[in-house]
Amino acid sequence: MKKVLGAVALLMGGTGIASAGGELFLYNWGNYTSPEMIKKFEEKYDVKVTITDFDSNDTALAKIEAGGSGFDLVVPSAGFVGIYAEKGLIQKLDLSRLPNHKNIAPDWMDVAWDPGREWSVPFQWGSTGVSVNVKDYAGDINTSSIFMDPPPELHGKINVIPEMGDVMALATLWAGGDVCSEDAEVMKKVRDALLAAKPKWMSMDYSTVEKMVNHDYGATVDWNGSGLRTRLANPDVKWGYPKEGYGLWMDNVVLLSDAKNVDNAYLFLDFIMEPENAAMLSAFARYANGIAGSEAFMPDDMKGAPELVPPAEFANLGQFVTVCTGKALEYQNAIWTELQK
Amino acid sequence: MAERRTHFNVADIPGFGLTAMVVFAALYAPIMALIVYSFNASPSVANWGGLTLDWYRKAAHNQEILNATANSLIIATQAALFSTVLATLAALGTTRRPPFKGMTAIYAAINQPLMVPEIVTAVALLVLTAAVKQATGYSGLGYLVLAHTAFCIPFAYLPIRARLEGMDLSYETAAADLYASDWQVFRHVTLPLLLPGILAGAMLAFVTSLDDVVITEFIKSPGQDTLPTYMLGQLRRAMTPDVNAISAVLMGVTVLMLCAFFLLTRKKN
Repeated sequence: MKKVLGAVALLMGGTGIASAGGELFLYNWGNYTSPEMIKKFEEKYDVKVTITDFDSNDTALAKIEAGGSGFDLVVPSAGFVGIYAEKGLIQKLDLSRLPNHKNIAPDWMDVAWDPGREWSVPFQWGSTGVSVNVKDYAGDINTSSIFMDPPPELHGKINVIPEMGDVMALATLWAGGDVCSEDAEVMKKVRDALLAAKPKWMSMDYSTVEKMVNHDYGATVDWNGSGLRTRLANPDVKWGYPKEGYGLWMDNVVLLSDAKNVDNAYLFLDFIMEPENAAMLSAFARYANGIAGSEAFMPDDMKGAPELVPPAEFANLGQFVTVCTGKALEYQNAIWTELQK
Repeated sequence: MAERRTHFNVADIPGFGLTAMVVFAALYAPIMALIVYSFNASPSVANWGGLTLDWYRKAAHNQEILNATANSLIIATQAALFSTVLATLAALGTTRRPPFKGMTAIYAAINQPLMVPEIVTAVALLVLTAAVKQATGYSGLGYLVLAHTAFCIPFAYLPIRARLEGMDLSYETAAADLYASDWQVFRHVTLPLLLPGILAGAMLAFVTSLDDVVITEFIKSPGQDTLPTYMLGQLRRAMTPDVNAISAVLMGVTVLMLCAFFLLTRKKN
């Protein structure tokens, strides 16, 4: 009878297979967490890790905000860390329990959304820029003019990812504004330039890697991880960091206020700041991680990749893309809608 | 002798064949493409790299996919079972008795999940389940089973009610005339005749539960990803063909169930 009850309890609990070190519940973007690194963590601490996927920051926030989510750690994007903190959904980290905190690269320590990294730990970061096939265009590729004011060689060969926030940020920076500009003059320039450029584009599509590799596109607006994979498959493709300013994003791990496995959560946070383990995350997700010294442990094709870490001359030109509000969002929506026609 | 037209035949409208072909192509071409590419050796969607079963192997060894599949099947089976039982009772209650006041309201109430946008139900359930989770501490699959049962009821109810309404009442009346008790009439006359409707309802409910994304995404607890929510989670990153392989398997399950349903109903008729 006890056996039957045990089996029933196991079925009801689903994932309730007990490990001596207990459990940890991670809520992360799908297909983003290296299974090898999770396995290493589970073996080292005998903790059973359960990963659950989300597909957008908004869904994740809605679920956490409703309460009783059952998760310990969540991985929101930069702009959302502050929202979690403001709403009291996450707890301040006890840095004395995170000896590897010192491994956070200096550039990623005093970030706008979390100065001193008291609330969040870096997971992965990347940039938005342009990928160009140098067989089509030999000129300067470090500019958003590639798609905002395309050179004649690229007419009819350009793709733009249909991602409003990222594209509007590049366009606004190109026009001399801030990421969330409320300046009517700037936004008018953005609108006119985009509408004039669109007939010279080929498409607005997400599937950039295959089409750049096959040379169906000559250039595309893209994320740097895709840019890296494209270049590895076709060396004619180069990554451009727009000198007018390019987009940046970072996903960060935060500890929920109602986490039940706080000790394991600290073990995990410290674990992923160990350079060797951060490199495992990068090897899987194909982005950089913000942990100093991790590059030495990365796969050879990622070491020194120009797509992952910007060259010095472009290092300070990145701007974080945040979700705009108010007037800025109204402008963006209006322009984006017009662009889709 | 000239053939006389006795009734209007929709197939005689000019262009009927062409329209039908276009419609079928639009319905099935994407699915065929997905199945074909699930055997593509090249990870790129645009290139054909020869035949392979690697993506199926990869999917079968992916622990997250296996867990998601198990969750999907457990939830769909239970939701189909519960919703079909409830829908059968509801269908009997709304057809095998004289029309009563408020019957239309009851139809509307039963079919509510078909009318209310899914996101509204999802948000409402999120608020409710969060409160219950906090109060009870229980976070098992029960919430998902309950929610899926609720929105599967109309899918099970409609074919069962249609079957009941199409059934000739004289069999039941005859049985009653021959001194069969109410229970005997139900057990030996109504139920066997109704079975194809019940099976159709159960399968529709099963498939509907298997498909659900929005409600599941909102109320799932840790470790409760189903196949559709797992696939949704892949969207932001590059999709790999093992997702095609899972979709092909899901398609296969659906087609098998449709065939089973077809065979079952054919025999009964």
